[in-house]
Amino acid sequence: MMNLPTSEQAGVLVVSVNGRIDHAVSEEFTRALEPLLARCTQGQPALLLDFSGVVYISSAGLRVLMMASRQAKAQQGSFAIAALTPLVQEVFTISRFNLIVPCYTSVDAACKVLGR
Amino acid sequence: MNRGTALLATVLRAGRGRLLPTLLLAAAALLLQHIEQTPLQTLQASQFDRYQRLAPRPRDAEPVIVVAIDSQSLATHGQWPWPRDLIARLLERIQGGQPLAVGLDFVFAERDQQAPALIAERLPPAAGALLRQLPDPDATLAARLAVAPTTLAVVGLARQLPGARLPVHPLPALQLPLTVDRALPQFSSALASRPELQAAAAGEGFINATPGAPGEHGERSILRRVPTLAMIRDQPYLSLPLEMVRQALGAGAVVAEPGSAGMQAIRIGDYRLPTQANGELLLHFGKASASYYLSAADVLAGKYPPATFADRFVIVGFNSIGLQDRVVSPLGDSLPGVDVHAQVIESLLAGTALRRPAWLPLLETGALLAGGLLLIAAVPALRPRYAVFSFSLLGLLMVGGGYAAFLAGRWLFDGASVTLLLGPVFMALLGNTLIAADARRRAAERHLQRSREEAARVAGELDAARRIQMGLLPDPGQRFAGESRFAVGALLEPALAVGGDYYDCFMLDRQRLCIAIGDVSGKGVPASLFMAISKTLGSTLLRRHGDLAAAVRDIEGELSRENPAFLFVTAFIGILDVDRGTLDYACAGHDAPLLRRAGRVARIDTAAVAGPPLCALGDYPYATARLQLQAGDLLCLFTDGVSEAGSGDALFGGERLATCLAALPEAAPDALCRAIRDKVREFEAGAAPADDLTLLLLRWDGA
Repeated sequence: MMNLPTSEQAGVLVVSVNGRIDHAVSEEFTRALEPLLARCTQGQPALLLDFSGVVYISSAGLRVLMMASRQAKAQQGSFAIAALTPLVQEVFTISRFNLIVPCYTSVDAACKVLGR
Repeated sequence: MNRGTALLATVLRAGRGRLLPTLLLAAAALLLQHIEQTPLQTLQASQFDRYQRLAPRPRDAEPVIVVAIDSQSLATHGQWPWPRDLIARLLERIQGGQPLAVGLDFVFAERDQQAPALIAERLPPAAGALLRQLPDPDATLAARLAVAPTTLAVVGLARQLPGARLPVHPLPALQLPLTVDRALPQFSSALASRPELQAAAAGEGFINATPGAPGEHGERSILRRVPTLAMIRDQPYLSLPLEMVRQALGAGAVVAEPGSAGMQAIRIGDYRLPTQANGELLLHFGKASASYYLSAADVLAGKYPPATFADRFVIVGFNSIGLQDRVVSPLGDSLPGVDVHAQVIESLLAGTALRRPAWLPLLETGALLAGGLLLIAAVPALRPRYAVFSFSLLGLLMVGGGYAAFLAGRWLFDGASVTLLLGPVFMALLGNTLIAADARRRAAERHLQRSREEAARVAGELDAARRIQMGLLPDPGQRFAGESRFAVGALLEPALAVGGDYYDCFMLDRQRLCIAIGDVSGKGVPASLFMAISKTLGSTLLRRHGDLAAAVRDIEGELSRENPAFLFVTAFIGILDVDRGTLDYACAGHDAPLLRRAGRVARIDTAAVAGPPLCALGDYPYATARLQLQAGDLLCLFTDGVSEAGSGDALFGGERLATCLAALPEAAPDALCRAIRDKVREFEAGAAPADDLTLLLLRWDGA
């Protein structure tokens, strides 16, 4: 089971994601996110993925983020990603995923916007 | 498996493989309790004999001397029976040395046939008168017997015989509990010596070796037990050797110690011997020795000084083939019967006998049950080889324990029979273990076979799917054969049997060439199905629409309509005016293609019009941009199977692809595709590709 350490910062649920998010771990990543997404509803703390430890993301990993984003939107929750490493940033730029999931340069920057 | 073996297997496996062994164990315990009625008795007896052979009783002291009527004596003094005055002379020689006690291993039941008075009766009265004046030999012997305490032999008889005579020296003051009395051998009659000899002797001891029903288990050949105490017409008597010891100790009282089911020991003075319930002594034999046998002829001739007999027990008996039957000891020695008397005296003085009290068979049964239950508990849980080991260890423990018990205290513990009786229990358990192991192995084989068949079937289906998928992709060389304005090469290698990448290239009309490359998120069968839909839908809608941007928006709309798995597709689609060299393109989250112009490689800047992957948002307003190509320009479309091919943590990357493309010589695009593919595979260094690899190269050669 993928380990996703969580912490609370300025009323935002910050989740640390690490390693490679590729086809091999995408299923696991999906399952690990499920309980967190279930709480990401209107009036609940925003869910922020801290991507500073993610070194690579494949299209399968992007799909997990897309589905997470759709679920959060459907529940009227708030879901975002922060602190992308250069390689991941490049993938996001090419695929224009910043249009699908809000991206922030750092966790602090994200918390200023999302926090209450 | 036929019906017989199936039935056997069912019986073996009953009660999780423990029912049959438990029943066998119960039967084994029953058998052990009644071992006397089974052939196992012989095995047990020979096991006890082995103990004795391993450690015979040491014979350090020689307290007994046997004066033997041997072949030499018969040669010198004539045939047996000897005249009784000759025996009286022999006795006189022995008595001269002050022995502790003397025993005669003979019964003088009738008158001496050579008595002068008897001969005189056959002569004329005048001739007989002289003979009648000679001393009577029986009287001479009686006088000699009276000189020192002497013990005569008695033969106990089970029924009245002509000439039978009861002994007259029963044990004094012997109080026997009823249980002991009943357990002892009972003789209704006896054969004893003549009354005047009985009267002159100090005591009488019986010489029966195997009372009761001798040899009922074929034991006649080997003598293992000798009675110590017997009832003759309800009067207690000791055996000859024990009576001799009693006489030496002053003819005191004897104590028969009562045990749980009869006797457990006999006490004479300070000497004590453990016995069986019926008073029998399990004699611990010592090795045979000839050193304490003296020839009666030599004794009569005065060859031994009187001191030879001082402080010894002296038994006069036979040691001649033809005069008496010999016994075989457990040690394998053939002994004259008189030797058994000597060994009994030695055993009593040393206080040693083999011990097998009434509780010992119970201990054996207990050991059998404990060992059997242990096996029943352990063997089904163990692997066959450890199971065999456990049984060997148990057997070793039982048999070794028997030897140890004998060496430590002359206890007779029959470990061999216990081990033997545990055999069937173990065999049943092991049989079940082996059947179970075999069944598991067969199940595993069947499972493996099924998995293989399943894998082969899936592989077959996947192979079919792969052929269909590959059939969807056009062959540019064939499609654009004879085309001089441009050349297209393409290549697709899925990471799994089927993949989510695709490419396409076709003429919209005489002037316009459409090229496309796409990558469905994920890989394998789900991605491949979505790929097939995307590719087909894409080419259809592109042919129908005049406007590229509208076509792309339409494609997204159609794809999103039925997309329950939320897959998405990155795509780059371009339309080249092959006469003018103008390239209109749209980009949906895909890697920007590379452009090689005059040996230099650059990335096409798609940022201004790039949108997210198709179906990611569902309603993105895609836009298009235009690029003017020059003759000889080489356009390189690729998927992340190229740019993100991995070797350890390093990725092939866009930079390395650009360098590689720049370095390639001028050649047909399909050859260049293969060259780039080879570079990527080289970089992966044999590692399995992580993602589908797709390349499409377009060279515009000008109008």
